[in-house]
Amino acid sequence: MFLETILKFEVPIKIGVMLGGVMTAAAYFVLLERRMAAWIQDRVGPNRVGIPLTKIRLFGLGQPLADGLKFIMKEEFTPSHVDKQMFRLAPIVILTAALAVFAVIPFGSVIPSLVDGEPIELVVAPGIDVGLIYIFALSSIAVYGVILGGWASNNKYSFLGGLRSSAQLIAYELPLGLGILGVVAATGSLNLQQIIQHQANSGLWFAFAQPLGFVVFVTAAFAESARLPFDLPECEQELIGGYHTEYSGMKLLLFLIAEFLHLVTAAFLIVMLFLGGWHFWLITGSDNDIGWFTALIRVTVLCVKIFFVVAFFMLVRWSWPRFRFDQLMSLAWKVMLPLGIFNFMAVAFIDQIGRLFIVPLFSDEAFGEIAASWMMVVPSALVFVAALFVVAKMHPHVADNRPHRSFSPGIDSQL
Amino acid sequence: MPEYLLPILLFLLACAALTVGMLTAGTLLGPKRTSPVKEMPYESGMDPLHDARRRFDVRFYLVAIAFVLFDVELLFLYPWAVANRNPEGLKEFFAGSEAAWHAQLLVFGEVMAFLLLLALGLVYAWRKGVFRWR
Repeated sequence: MFLETILKFEVPIKIGVMLGGVMTAAAYFVLLERRMAAWIQDRVGPNRVGIPLTKIRLFGLGQPLADGLKFIMKEEFTPSHVDKQMFRLAPIVILTAALAVFAVIPFGSVIPSLVDGEPIELVVAPGIDVGLIYIFALSSIAVYGVILGGWASNNKYSFLGGLRSSAQLIAYELPLGLGILGVVAATGSLNLQQIIQHQANSGLWFAFAQPLGFVVFVTAAFAESARLPFDLPECEQELIGGYHTEYSGMKLLLFLIAEFLHLVTAAFLIVMLFLGGWHFWLITGSDNDIGWFTALIRVTVLCVKIFFVVAFFMLVRWSWPRFRFDQLMSLAWKVMLPLGIFNFMAVAFIDQIGRLFIVPLFSDEAFGEIAASWMMVVPSALVFVAALFVVAKMHPHVADNRPHRSFSPGIDSQL
Repeated sequence: MPEYLLPILLFLLACAALTVGMLTAGTLLGPKRTSPVKEMPYESGMDPLHDARRRFDVRFYLVAIAFVLFDVELLFLYPWAVANRNPEGLKEFFAGSEAAWHAQLLVFGEVMAFLLLLALGLVYAWRKGVFRWR
């Protein structure tokens, strides 16, 4: 009886688990980021806040809660010079869109059925066949939040920050889409669960099958989540705070959470599209007929992978300098976009050749597909090396790359 | 509305409720104080000279137009990428004959030609200096 009641409330429970988990993860990733920054800069970092009214410190694990409480008690201030409705709408739009993405992102594989029947899929909305398009559409709404915030603030820093940020976000959306397209072309599905299943079946993660697409996608994901070395939307030293200069209190918190959620989304997508999702060789298996133990292992593997990707993001943040805006745009349009198109063509070609010539060699078609995908690792690696070589040749390393004002209208020799 | 879309709707509502709830909590619990200086735009201590919404660089428009062009072209490729792996409809149409394969290869060639045209467009924009930020 009890189990049937749980089944009835399956969707609300999943929504609660997902929202709670994601918000907690975002809060504790902030703490992790601060501790990591401290570690890299040889300081101690926030390690004081533990249980209130006692001397128990818990390595600073109370810090996110204290921060959240502080933000709630701060004044909710709207300056008089702003466009009030837009000003209030911007953080709501950006955070709602950033949260809503998680409706189609699985947080594990499946768990055995509680009563009888089908195993329960660990995703809020299973069976959405346009999952990736949905994610893509909602992540584009982030641009609206940024522009609304920057425009409504009526502040020159916010305005410039909003413009820059929107230009960056839309420029890097193209390589992001091209990176995803390679994976979609190799699996024939836009559903994240099926993409993970495909990698689990063949045992070949797409990071190895499409190394060039992986690099393009990770770079674009860094830019889309506005992390260093691409954090030009904020760049505290130049624009004070970019599009959220005028924001304070809870509205600022919403912007900051949204930014962290973009990072978490990027980590989820990198893990699921290119690093095999919940799959790990030998310990997770690949079919859906599993017990509680394997289900738990799969969730753990997924979480560990995401943790490592997020830690990688943070390590990069504290070890790389920021790009200049013209470098950022050249990287997007002159390096990443051509590489993305080239990668997609190469992937489509290799895939087609594999299915034309290699799959028919085997009597079992499913096995032939797996063998073909493994054999295509070598040409993909060659494509990767060739692309890196061409990029290195086309963009020679020069010491003085400061921007200069070109006085001759028309085509520059350097372009 | 199909039943499998219901969770997404619920999730969207839950997200919006969470966001608005947080804002409301902040409004209810925070103090309310204001002063003339606090009402001013923050521009590092300088008195703001004029409205911030003025003309800005035309290159932002160029990038936006280039983005719209390429993004729309990319959207065409998603259906093809899915359909290329799931050729059941084609096989049914050609009743399982060899022609299904040939049709698929023809479409493949067309998509490659389309991508080449796209790359040519990129080269054209590049030569025209759309992506030059200096």
